[in-house]
Amino acid sequence: MKITVKLIGPFVQAFGFSEKQLDVPVGTTADGLVALVHIDSARPKIVTRNGRAVAPDEALADGDRVVISPIYSGG
Amino acid sequence: MNGWTGQILRVNLTAKTFKKEPFSEEFARKWVGGRGFAAKILYDELKPGIDPLGPDNKFIVALGPIAGIPAPNTGKAVVAGKSPMTGGYGDGNLGTRVAEQLRKAGYDALIVEGKAERPTMLYIEDDKVEFLPADAVWGQGTYVTNDWIYAKYGKGVGVLNIGQGGENLVRYAVVRSLEGRAGGRTGIGAVMGSKLLKAVVVKGTKPIPQADPAGMKKVGHDDLRQVHEIDKKTGWSIQSTNGVLAWCNEVAALPVRNFRKTHHPDAWKVDGERLNNARIATYGCPNCTMRCGITIHDDEGRESELDYENIGLLGPNLEIFDFPQIASLNYLCDEYGIDTMSAGCVLSFYADAIDHGAVAGDFKFGDAAGAKKLLGLIARREGEIGNLLAEGSLRAARKFGHGSEAYAMQVKGLDVAAYNCKFIPGMALAFGVSPIGAHHKESWVITFELKQTSRESYGPEKAKKVIELQRIRGGLFEYMVSCRFPWIELGWGLENYPKYFKLATGLDWTLDDFWTVSDRIYALMKLFWLREYPQTDRKLDYPPAVWFDPTNADTEGPIAGKVLEYDKYDGLLQHYYDIRGYDKRGIPTMATLEKLGLAAEAKAAERFGSLT
Repeated sequence: MKITVKLIGPFVQAFGFSEKQLDVPVGTTADGLVALVHIDSARPKIVTRNGRAVAPDEALADGDRVVISPIYSGG
Repeated sequence: MNGWTGQILRVNLTAKTFKKEPFSEEFARKWVGGRGFAAKILYDELKPGIDPLGPDNKFIVALGPIAGIPAPNTGKAVVAGKSPMTGGYGDGNLGTRVAEQLRKAGYDALIVEGKAERPTMLYIEDDKVEFLPADAVWGQGTYVTNDWIYAKYGKGVGVLNIGQGGENLVRYAVVRSLEGRAGGRTGIGAVMGSKLLKAVVVKGTKPIPQADPAGMKKVGHDDLRQVHEIDKKTGWSIQSTNGVLAWCNEVAALPVRNFRKTHHPDAWKVDGERLNNARIATYGCPNCTMRCGITIHDDEGRESELDYENIGLLGPNLEIFDFPQIASLNYLCDEYGIDTMSAGCVLSFYADAIDHGAVAGDFKFGDAAGAKKLLGLIARREGEIGNLLAEGSLRAARKFGHGSEAYAMQVKGLDVAAYNCKFIPGMALAFGVSPIGAHHKESWVITFELKQTSRESYGPEKAKKVIELQRIRGGLFEYMVSCRFPWIELGWGLENYPKYFKLATGLDWTLDDFWTVSDRIYALMKLFWLREYPQTDRKLDYPPAVWFDPTNADTEGPIAGKVLEYDKYDGLLQHYYDIRGYDKRGIPTMATLEKLGLAAEAKAAERFGSLT
């Protein structure tokens, strides 16, 4: 299935891309996707799926847009 | 007394007099500094009902026990007065060399009273105070004024100044410093202007008293280096505060078209990546090793310093998605010395009011040239519309009528910061209960709401989080006085602040001791409101009505069909009051006030409004 992954803020420089589309196996979870794109597991982050926060073990669906962001604090 | 200089400088512009006033250790321990000092002084010294733009108001500069001492990020000062925007207590903070210089001159705070006969620059050098003519720069912008001051005194002095906005009493005029810094969006620049006070220049040569100067020096410098290393490692300052713009757009929290929309397909054009690509220089405050100020060229080739708030509100909120144009609007606000955020909200409100037929006009969303022209009219209070928009969105809405107050994006008269809370209940509460109007500096809970709770929840966990953050952001960092960014953006430990406090003052406080001070100051700010508005009720703590309007719901995206609900919001507000020990109007109860050591202040309030 096709998933669009968007990184936010310093993650863009840290992990080498801003946005890309990936072909991933059916059943891939949010956490699985984070590992697939090599996001450092130690970095505090918030992951959203189609604009809503997602649980780590939640299975993704074809066409999802997943955004991986550092924890912002509103300046 | 260590940590504090123990002196306040009181200046009277009418009489051209000044005196040094010592304060007690009890005062220092109870209010600590910054916002605490400012709120207490204004509460004790201002007669309720005075005109914030009249000579009876006072302009305060207040510092804290670690302000100006090299440590993470202590180059900030609080500026305060009765707010021309809200009529309540008003303040703001800004990066400035005044933090260090005023402390070295021997003062923890400056109180400016009265009104000068002619445009005046106050020059303070240790024990000397001079009242100097400022006619040469009256009518000039803040960049010109700053250059004029540097030419006289060199770049090492501390400077606070105002532009045409402050001179012409634009209610959201700010105080400016260091070419790129501004503070006091509650209208403190207009308070200076009302006194014909164009600038304050400070030079100090004395040591700042500290309990353990050698220890403070070592820890301060080590920690500045560590903060720098964390920033480099995480890359936070690559996009700085504007990293959050793309995220807000993804999660439907971006202000677009006067907050009517929460996201926009063109938002990427003004996100943090594009800002970093356009960067020509980076600026920071004194004692800062994670500099957040990114400058770019505007459409006329001028250098303009941008951050998320001014991009969000002068950009997407006006449906302008072009960096040079946004930078130009930002430059003009900075030059005129008016708040970029309120300016963005006032302009977006005006376009929305025209759009909805509340007023006739030709200004439209996306019209950068029109926005520039309007900013000039506002700063000069020129013409009927310039004069009206200089009053802020709430007062303009009351003039326009036709229900436009519902979409004047403000709380208590202060315009909302750049987070669209159409369906973010906890953040809407944070804006609602901010004691100075809708400012983001008090509490910011959006990531908490999305990550650790349900966005739909109106439960007490959200009220509790708002209070926790108020104690830290609106409390600790505002009275110590230092920048919250090392903690909020880099995770620099809160436990460092009692450590700095001990090295400076010798006092061994726990974080709970600090939270008591925070709660005391918040309660006092509420009493200030009660005295000014004896008929106050909980509706003052409500966010803008349009966020509750189902016809304003998004039609697509992550919050399609959703808006805030009145009953549920009111329940959330009640959770906040219950945890705080406030009554149903949102006023601290007598028991709460006594617990916080505010019995005398309560008695002073009871002459004007009732307590329960």
